[in-house]
Amino acid sequence: MLSSDKLPLSESTPAPSSARAPGPLPAIVGVVAIAVFATILLRVHGQWALLTLGVVAAIALVVAVRTGATSRFEGAFAAHEGLMNGVAIAACLAVIAVLAKEDFSLLIVSTVLLYCTACMGLTVQLGYCGVLNFAGAAFFGAGAYTAAVLGAHTALPHLLVLLAGGCIAGLLGSVLLLPVLRTRGHYAALITVAFGIMFRSFLEVNNTLGGPQGLMVPGMTIFGWSLNKGLVIGGVTLSFYFNYALVTLALAIAVYVVTRRLERSWVGMHFDAVRIDELAASTFGLNVQALKIGAFVIGNVFIGMAGAVFAMMTGFISPTDFDFSTSLVLIAIIMLGGIGNVWGILPAAAFVLILPEKLQAIQEYRFLLYSAAVILVLLFRPEGLFPRRLRRYFPSRGGG
Amino acid sequence: MDIGFLAQYVLSGVMLGVVYAMVAVGFTLYFGVLDVINFSHGDVLTSGAFVSLATYLGLRAMGIESPAVLLAVMLLAGLGAMALLGVLVAKFFVLPLRHAPPFITLLITLMVGVALRESIRLFYPSGSNPQSFPAVLPNTPYHWGHLIVRLDTIILIVTGLAVIALVNLFINRTRAGLAIRAVAQDGETAKIMGINFEWVVLLAFALGSALAALAGVMNGLYYNEINFGTGLMLGIIGFCAAVVGGLGNIYGAILGGFLFALLQTIVVVATPSLTAYKDVFAFAVIILLMVVKPTGLIGEASSERV
Amino acid sequence: MDALLSCHNLVMRFRGLTALDDLHLDIRKGEILGLLGPNGSGKTTFFNVVTGVYRASGGRIEFESQDISRSSPQAVYRAGIARTFQRSRLCLPLTIFDNIMIGNHRNLNHGLWFNVVRRKALRRQYEACREEARELLTIFNQALGSRLMEAAGSVSMIDRRRIEVCRALVSRPKLLLLDEPSAGMTHEETNELMDDILTIRKRMPELTIVIIEHGMSVIERITDRCVVLNYGRKLCEGTYAEIARNPEVQQAYLGKS
Repeated sequence: MLSSDKLPLSESTPAPSSARAPGPLPAIVGVVAIAVFATILLRVHGQWALLTLGVVAAIALVVAVRTGATSRFEGAFAAHEGLMNGVAIAACLAVIAVLAKEDFSLLIVSTVLLYCTACMGLTVQLGYCGVLNFAGAAFFGAGAYTAAVLGAHTALPHLLVLLAGGCIAGLLGSVLLLPVLRTRGHYAALITVAFGIMFRSFLEVNNTLGGPQGLMVPGMTIFGWSLNKGLVIGGVTLSFYFNYALVTLALAIAVYVVTRRLERSWVGMHFDAVRIDELAASTFGLNVQALKIGAFVIGNVFIGMAGAVFAMMTGFISPTDFDFSTSLVLIAIIMLGGIGNVWGILPAAAFVLILPEKLQAIQEYRFLLYSAAVILVLLFRPEGLFPRRLRRYFPSRGGG
Repeated sequence: MDIGFLAQYVLSGVMLGVVYAMVAVGFTLYFGVLDVINFSHGDVLTSGAFVSLATYLGLRAMGIESPAVLLAVMLLAGLGAMALLGVLVAKFFVLPLRHAPPFITLLITLMVGVALRESIRLFYPSGSNPQSFPAVLPNTPYHWGHLIVRLDTIILIVTGLAVIALVNLFINRTRAGLAIRAVAQDGETAKIMGINFEWVVLLAFALGSALAALAGVMNGLYYNEINFGTGLMLGIIGFCAAVVGGLGNIYGAILGGFLFALLQTIVVVATPSLTAYKDVFAFAVIILLMVVKPTGLIGEASSERV
Repeated sequence: MDALLSCHNLVMRFRGLTALDDLHLDIRKGEILGLLGPNGSGKTTFFNVVTGVYRASGGRIEFESQDISRSSPQAVYRAGIARTFQRSRLCLPLTIFDNIMIGNHRNLNHGLWFNVVRRKALRRQYEACREEARELLTIFNQALGSRLMEAAGSVSMIDRRRIEVCRALVSRPKLLLLDEPSAGMTHEETNELMDDILTIRKRMPELTIVIIEHGMSVIERITDRCVVLNYGRKLCEGTYAEIARNPEVQQAYLGKS
């Protein structure tokens, strides 16, 4: 018999927090769906099949956004971050494993991962600190050309070449931005646009770095492992791009960890403060210029590293790889994925890069389509596919 | 180096300056009225040139030969179409976003520019190749000693300067111009005073775009060639010129335009082997100027309420 | 007389408009000073000049015998002066906690290594700060304490003003400049705010406060001393009772002859 002053357990104690926080299922389903879709997209060759897939994906995307499926997905992802990071990595590895013998598919996957790394750099600059960078491709190119020169003319270990690529890009960025730090934001925009446009023409005119003919770049070697040789597993020779896919995944993960920690710290919070209200930030002691330069340099280091690996992977670079349009693609990816949200980068990059590579019909039209997509996003959903969430410094299971 | 040779460069420098100044004035109008950087401006220039070219080809196909008629209709079509385009860009892409952070407007206009540029490249017949632009202006050469000057160059320069002066007059001496200046100084108060804010913005965009179209046609007439990518670089240069003069300041824009042309001409004349670097050089100097005078040579026209 | 902040011949000109005209002003340590005057008399401009947002056109400002006339806003903050803004300047997309922490720059470790690598140490600092912010916020509004991790944009205008005061207080400044903190509040809310400010002052007895306000009852109740500005000059100073009687003050506000 229950006494009147003792309520049944279910009413007196609050429900355990995991019952209120969303379960991980929507997120797992989402990640698996994206991975499967990407794999199918990469394996299929028929143009009509690809077109259908593309249209289906676009419709599914719009429906998912409208019905709130994307926010459920993201909510679940955020609530179980540790688990979901593991699931995402596993999904990437699975995709890479399935495509292990396909050169072109793995090249695309590696390129997507490199673009993700570069876009994370851009996110630190633009998404966190509000520093405009319309020359992403130029800094990517700076890293690439550094790798080309160091790889061909020095015996520097390639991991250091990778870092050097990042450092050169970072240095170049600081030289570019320092003069205009005291001026208003649109001056920085002008400088990066001008740099982005002129980087390519400068390289083409100048023959010291190969001119318009470009430069050959030796393949990457890490601790004696030459990535340009396909691995032989169980008698089966894999594509050598398999090696690069693994390396680019590792780089993306490393940069992701740093970016995440940066955001979830006082530094990340100060970046946001500078972006949102510079004046108020300065009256509370924030060194606005140091923060902007810091964000710009850190971002460019990431972009440069990605460029260095890109050069070593493709074996040959020329100025046309690093033109203004490519800079705009990088911006398009972070706008579409959700500005300031690193989790939006991979799906956005995959969607933006894979489809035009496979669908010959739209390849020529891809910049037109990118610009239209960004315009639509800016008009109707400026937060992007996965809007950025509030800062949680140390998210624990279901908490923050 | 004889005077004739030098004078040739001076003339082409002035011509460049006129074009840059026209583009820069457009940027100034947009910034003044809405505090926005409109990065589609350069591509509007190209579009105007292409519309004029297409009009010309259409008229010729219809058998019309008279240069005066051709030029008149070309200009009408180019300027009219771009004025309309400017209004559309303002109404659908810029005005709706005017309360968003400024970089959003920058980005959307940049993308509109890309869309225009790509559309020309993809949909105009052999759009990725340079198109020859007709010489509808009389190009009889005049000789003064060693100096050879084509009549069309003179006409273009005079027209350009006249147009800039007219725009200046319009802004400073007419009621519509006054409305533009009022909105530029304080949009909220202007609204309270009964000025139709939206109309003024659309007018400013129409005017700026028509100017760009005219600059595009003039550019085409001068070089006898247009290219889908011309506008991008001209837009950057025009923006740069507007900035160095002081954003929002028409005189600054004009000054900036001629300054940029001067810098480029200096490189070409003094170090001919480095001609390819003329843009880089001019930009570098401009950046240095901005470091020294962050609000521009004549001064930027905006303030923030604390 | 113990002057914490003193201004001599302070002038601030904006392209033809003289906002501060040869201003002499002393702020005594530990007092609550009311800064009054009709609209446009230069009160907010005075705050802006002191905090380095504007560069004075002439004159001198000394804080604890240190010349801060040409100091940057960052240097002024480091010296121990914090403020709120007339027009609310919070970062609405950020959490309430983030907003308060913006004011705590002095006490946080900003090193890249500390923030990215030494996560355990960061966590300890974070948790200490979180407690501090919650405590501070709870003084002003009990309910807000539990909403620390929500977006600042999701709370009411009044709560945002309270958060702004917390942001200014969290670094334990020596001088607190409040610019119309009760703007938009009802009578009760204003009284509450003033009570909370007095509570803070009890906890931080060395805190000096300058408050710009329009509500006369507030001024009367909370201030030790008042200074009235008009056209960028000091019109008069004294206790509330003294300045309220002053005919010049009445004329400036009401136009009585």
